[in-house]
Amino acid sequence: MTDRSLDLLIDEVALGLADDADIARLDRMAQADPAIAARLDQARQRLLALDDTADALPLPEGFWSRLEARLDAEEATTPPAAPQPAQQNVVELSSIRNAMHRWRATAVAGMAAALMLGVMLAWVALSRPEPAVIAVLLNDAGEAIALVEGLPDNTTRITLLERQNVAADQVMQVWTKPEEDGPPVSLGLLSTGRSSTLTIDGLPTPRPQQLYEITFEPAGGSPTQLPTGPILGKGLAKEPVT
Amino acid sequence: MRDTAHRDPFCNPAQGCGLTPKPKATSSDGTAVASGCRETRADDVVTDHATWIKACAAGDKSALQALMTAEGGRMFGVAQRMLRRIDLAEDAVQDAFVLIWKRSHQFDPSRGSARGWVYTILRNRCLTMLRNEDRVQPIGPEAMESAINDQDLDTAFDRLDQTDDLRRCLERLDLQTRRAILSSYVLGHSHGEIAGRMAAPLGSVKSWVRRGLTKLRECLS
Repeated sequence: MTDRSLDLLIDEVALGLADDADIARLDRMAQADPAIAARLDQARQRLLALDDTADALPLPEGFWSRLEARLDAEEATTPPAAPQPAQQNVVELSSIRNAMHRWRATAVAGMAAALMLGVMLAWVALSRPEPAVIAVLLNDAGEAIALVEGLPDNTTRITLLERQNVAADQVMQVWTKPEEDGPPVSLGLLSTGRSSTLTIDGLPTPRPQQLYEITFEPAGGSPTQLPTGPILGKGLAKEPVT
Repeated sequence: MRDTAHRDPFCNPAQGCGLTPKPKATSSDGTAVASGCRETRADDVVTDHATWIKACAAGDKSALQALMTAEGGRMFGVAQRMLRRIDLAEDAVQDAFVLIWKRSHQFDPSRGSARGWVYTILRNRCLTMLRNEDRVQPIGPEAMESAINDQDLDTAFDRLDQTDDLRRCLERLDLQTRRAILSSYVLGHSHGEIAGRMAAPLGSVKSWVRRGLTKLRECLS
């Protein structure tokens, strides 16, 4: 996609003229690329003054109670975003108590995050699992461009060996052929453009001689579920000697 | 020209603009009614909206209520302008607030204004209702609809501040293109609806809009 057509896509989404597929496409692009997200937000901001031209109309009687009832119903089915004491539903909350709730919620969330980080670090340090197979992906010129480690549970660690310049409307997609004669299967996108670990369910444990490949695909991934773009590199897996 | 009622009536500096300003002037069930406060600097509004959304993410319902008091009336107006029916407009605004509540933890102030975030959620909800649901039917005969629509578009344009860049740049577009762009944003019309109302081929409408958007973007940046 050219920059010009990206601009138009952004404008049409902000204006409300884009169809669902285009909205979803831009959404994925914006999630992968903060610069695109910023452009979309800018386009929306430019039009926001038009919302202020609508009359401010009094909300219907009972609007808040109906809304609150819906929130309570939602909460009953899904866990709340942050721990809340039971008195939350009492109408006359003092502002001090409100501040306390927020402070407590923030503190609890902070402690939980710190704890989780610690656990994750320990897990990573202690139990980096052994790969079942390793493949070195080579480009057409025979240069190594990525190291692929396939774990028995079909977690795939991809270490890029060269920084790639990926166009704004493209993404690197990782493929493998679990069966030698079968179709290629997508393992996922390297949407940050950096080394990454991908997980996928439902594939057999990687085997020696399994083909791995990285291609450039349109942002959001190949529309056909099969590789369409130019190949960055490919390689056959081997079992590491331990 | 917009009158003072179009400004955001919120946050009296004398009463403080804390983390969760107490919703003022609410009726017994908390439904917003007019507030006496008129003088609000744009910066304050931005800050308050972001603060309320963050407080929502921490589970503070009074922050959502504060947001409703400040912004609900305008949101209701935007929804009615698009959906043309009071009952559907209320549904849309209710849905929007539920989504704001549920997605509040996703809001990232570094990625855009809080008000913009709120209105994007509302507008998307209205557009989905317009596009995907059969229940949105015009309220009257087509000719009457069309006259109301044109009037809404002109009002929207007239109410843009004289100093607003958007107004200056829209003014440079020819009338047809301006109406096409305004009717998609203000009324939520699709390419097809615009073409139908203008009795113009769909392809021409699409290219007018594209050219118009390009001009608008160049003029605004």
